[in-house]
Amino acid sequence: MPTHESGSTAQSIEEYIDPRLKPLIKMPESPSERPRLIGNKCKFCKEYFFPKRVLCPNCLKEEGLEDVLLSHRGRLYTYCIVKAAPLGFSAPYAVGYVDLPEGLRIFSPLTVDNEKELQIGMDLELFVDKIREDETGKTVYGYRFRPFSI
Amino acid sequence: MRTVCIVGVGMTQFGRFKESNVIELGRIAALNALRDAGIDKKDIQVAYAGHARTGQLYNRECGIGQSVLWELGISGIPISSVGNFCSSGSTALRDAWMAIGTGMYDVAIALGVEKLTGRAGKGRPLTSDGVELLTVMGFSPPVYFGNVATRHMEEYGTTKEQLAMVAVKNRKNAGPNPRCQYRDPITIEEVLNSPLIVEPLTLLNCCPTTDGAAAAILCSKEVAKRYTSKPVEIAASALSSGPYKKCKDITTFGADRCAGKDAYEISGIGPEDIDFAEVHDCFTIAEIVHYEDFGFCKKGEGGRFIEEGLSDINGKIPVSVSGGLMSRGHPIGATGLAQIAEAVWQLRGVAENQVKGAKVAFTHCAGGFQDTIELGDVQSSAVTILKRGW
Ligand SMILES: [Zn+2]
Repeated sequence: MPTHESGSTAQSIEEYIDPRLKPLIKMPESPSERPRLIGNKCKFCKEYFFPKRVLCPNCLKEEGLEDVLLSHRGRLYTYCIVKAAPLGFSAPYAVGYVDLPEGLRIFSPLTVDNEKELQIGMDLELFVDKIREDETGKTVYGYRFRPFSI
Repeated sequence: MRTVCIVGVGMTQFGRFKESNVIELGRIAALNALRDAGIDKKDIQVAYAGHARTGQLYNRECGIGQSVLWELGISGIPISSVGNFCSSGSTALRDAWMAIGTGMYDVAIALGVEKLTGRAGKGRPLTSDGVELLTVMGFSPPVYFGNVATRHMEEYGTTKEQLAMVAVKNRKNAGPNPRCQYRDPITIEEVLNSPLIVEPLTLLNCCPTTDGAAAAILCSKEVAKRYTSKPVEIAASALSSGPYKKCKDITTFGADRCAGKDAYEISGIGPEDIDFAEVHDCFTIAEIVHYEDFGFCKKGEGGRFIEEGLSDINGKIPVSVSGGLMSRGHPIGATGLAQIAEAVWQLRGVAENQVKGAKVAFTHCAGGFQDTIELGDVQSSAVTILKRGW
């Protein structure tokens, strides 16, 4: 499974992020910061959305939606290990659904040293790394989650 | 709504047909249905054609129904395409049911067709329709159901062996059915030891890539008498999209629960009245979840339901008696109507793998994923309840 390439800066990584995922990810501006996912929240009904919505489906109001940076930590709700990969991906790779404290259950690629480490309920943290290769063989980055221990 | 009956059904052999195209497959199924009904083509007043992937695979998003029926000399009538993921065929049937039920028309044909072997990426899972954001991160339909299986196993103790039992049962049911793509018996060990696709699902836990078509002729009950002494009544046809819910429970499908509840209410028929069911067993875990969502057993007891033989041909509610998607194959838009054809033959008492004395049938198709990153429900579910009309 891919590992973080040491020495790459946030700016150089950003160039490689899939263009469809780019609007969803805020890269760190200093070494002390972490990448974050960008969602939004309706100030009327307090519900969070990821990816951002342009209209709150509960209130049908555009003006209540405010951008928020979502928690970079979550919990593993469920997962599976892909052994027959779609084009551009190399098997095996793990993917699953991660629960964020904002009440969101989101799809994410997962990084572990060993598949057997994966446990429902485990603590995870967000990072940005390779997710696949494009048609030309170029590395494409996106967000991922990996085990986090205090 | 007046009572609507099915007076004729037909389908093609299901399998991999390199030389055939969608129009040819559709024509064979429609002709078989017309002949089965003994109806003159001039009597068809309206047509609905279900197909889900012809746009992406053959640059033909619309007009499959017109092209198929043109070959049969049926034209100058309302014909429309129905695209609704894996429920496209069942939705075509439902549209025909409503068109007749409301009194607008007396005779309709519902058609479903798909050819999947022409697709690119041989040996790789079929990608889902749309869902670009998920697909760039490695999502595919088996990924969704792999996630369902992991959670169901964790929460309810469902085992890989129980999943395998669904594949073994459905293959056994396919044995006598000549229309199925796969008919040779398989064992639990063979299912467990087949190549892993998305752990915990091995290849034999997944339905195959298939071409095929199916069709049904519908009439009002009054008109049905002209054609047959054994009309099959549509007791209910219900359709639902996936309810949007924060932190959705992945071990249950809201769309299926909505469609199932509506179908039971409309028909006044409950799970205890069903003689057999054809459900959307696209993956083995899906069939186990369907047992629970449709009230065949309690939530979490689906694994036990298969293990105790309750869904066997001689069980409490025989499920996927035709062989299911697992053995017949799953040409997406055709599946819903293939289930209807198989169910009609069961109710007439002429099916190869006959459920003795079957009077009430339950069929179900579901599929599609929401184009978002939050965990979503399946996007379409269609439940049809049929009963003998004689
Ligand atoms: Zn709101």
